Amino acid sequence: MILLDVLTIPKDDAVAFTFFTGYMAMLAASIFFIFERGRVDDKWKLSLLISALITFIAAVHYYYMRDYYLATGENPTSLRYIDWTLTVPLMCVEFYLLTKAAGAKIGLLWKLIIASVWMLVAGYIGEAFNPEGGDTTHSVLWGFLSTIGYIYVLYTAWFGEVAKLAAASNNPVVKRGVRTLAWFVLVGWAIYPIGYMCMPGGWLNTAFGWGSGNVDLFYNIADAINKIGFGLVVYSIAITSSRK
Amino acid sequence: MLVKSTGIYSIMTKAIFVFIASFLLILPFVFNAGDITLSSQLMICAPFLFFLGIPHGAIDNVLFLRGNQIKNREFIGVYLVIIASNIILWMILPSIAYLLFLLLSAYHFGQSQFSHYSDKPSLFYKALYFFWGVSILSGLVYFNIGEIQVLMNQQDEFAALSSLHEESIVLYTFLLATCITFVLLVFLSIKNLLDLEALFMETLVIALVLICFYLMPILIGFTLYFVILHSFKVLREEYLFLNSKKVVNSIGNFVKLVMPFTLLSIGGIALLFGLIYLNILSIPYGYLLLIVISSITLPHVFVMNRFYNLI
Repeated sequence: MILLDVLTIPKDDAVAFTFFTGYMAMLAASIFFIFERGRVDDKWKLSLLISALITFIAAVHYYYMRDYYLATGENPTSLRYIDWTLTVPLMCVEFYLLTKAAGAKIGLLWKLIIASVWMLVAGYIGEAFNPEGGDTTHSVLWGFLSTIGYIYVLYTAWFGEVAKLAAASNNPVVKRGVRTLAWFVLVGWAIYPIGYMCMPGGWLNTAFGWGSGNVDLFYNIADAINKIGFGLVVYSIAITSSRK
Repeated sequence: MLVKSTGIYSIMTKAIFVFIASFLLILPFVFNAGDITLSSQLMICAPFLFFLGIPHGAIDNVLFLRGNQIKNREFIGVYLVIIASNIILWMILPSIAYLLFLLLSAYHFGQSQFSHYSDKPSLFYKALYFFWGVSILSGLVYFNIGEIQVLMNQQDEFAALSSLHEESIVLYTFLLATCITFVLLVFLSIKNLLDLEALFMETLVIALVLICFYLMPILIGFTLYFVILHSFKVLREEYLFLNSKKVVNSIGNFVKLVMPFTLLSIGGIALLFGLIYLNILSIPYGYLLLIVISSITLPHVFVMNRFYNLI
């Protein structure tokens, strides 16, 4: 039945298409990170396991979201946010693990997790409890609150504790890696608000008529870039560092 | 160069970070507010422009006198002569005065944006300063041409400047300047005069500034750029420079230093506005503000050019 559903993906349905490719890409990335874990030094194994967990959790959710979307044609908001509530804090764990050798304390991890959960919970309220037909004030208010969490993570990655610890690490590979992850937060994470603003009552929906179907399109693109990209950066740091 | 050697700048400056954060936080509210009239925009933006924008030019005398034999009194005299000359130019040839103001501002904006990248900027860097500035200023005008035309049509004084706001001229200027800016950025990067990461950051910044001008009402968009990306960055550079020369030893000292001429400028503008209000001066508020801003910009551009050569 599921295979038949897959076969019915309309050729012009970019959302369904990205759900399927997203699922396969996440799964492939998970397998890659798990197998490559054996090739890096012990100190990097946990980081690669986290990368694999991020993409694997996403793959499982994409499997369900893909079917949900094909069956109902609606945005799988709850599944999406369950996925993010698990995977985004794990990305914060990656930041922590990278800078741990330079003296990162567990407090840093908690601050990043709280900021990311704040960002997600506010985003979820903004999206899941948006009144029928969309309410701009509701979307703007919760979008604003969510952005505060994002800006905190962005600051930490570029100027705050993470950036300072990376600068003090004396390891050029870690410095470059943390900077690359900071770029992911700046550019990659910024794709999500574009999707958020496409929902009914959202700014892009109202001002430019971008339909709510675009919500999942942007989220799927952002997920592929951020989750797999994030993992590949960590992998690149691990493999480069292990070769030395 | 001071700012570079002390390592205070990452590829993302604090000014860029604050700009991105403010842009993301303000944008939804501006959208939710719907159409904001020019006078409402002015009421929202004026405090920021006055108290955060003006201070960055309020210590031109202190900066210029560093390593210079000229006395403070002489400097202020020359400064006032330049201002007076500019006012006369506005009275005789307003379109020339306006064009001069735009061109000098363009160079000045670009210079402050890229000041931390090069100790001795080559001709290509100087060209980048200019075209970057032209790109954002023409973008500001082009994306808000409707609002500008409303303003132009309201007052006769602006009629002399309308030829410079012809939509096609502004569009071609914007496209040309933006293309040249990107070519120069890539060229400098290929020549190893600009880091590849800096190329990405500056591409992102110019894109964000232009998106900001496109999405926001003209004055709010410009204030966001001018106060944060320009004035805040310049103030920070000025503070660090004067701190290194032991002229100031704390932010409080620095605030005290910029305060007199900031308050004098604000008081002067308020006085002129009062004269208009009392019908002693017969000139529209907006037009007067344009002349005042251009008059204080003119000498400031030269002082800042020297300042950037100094640090």
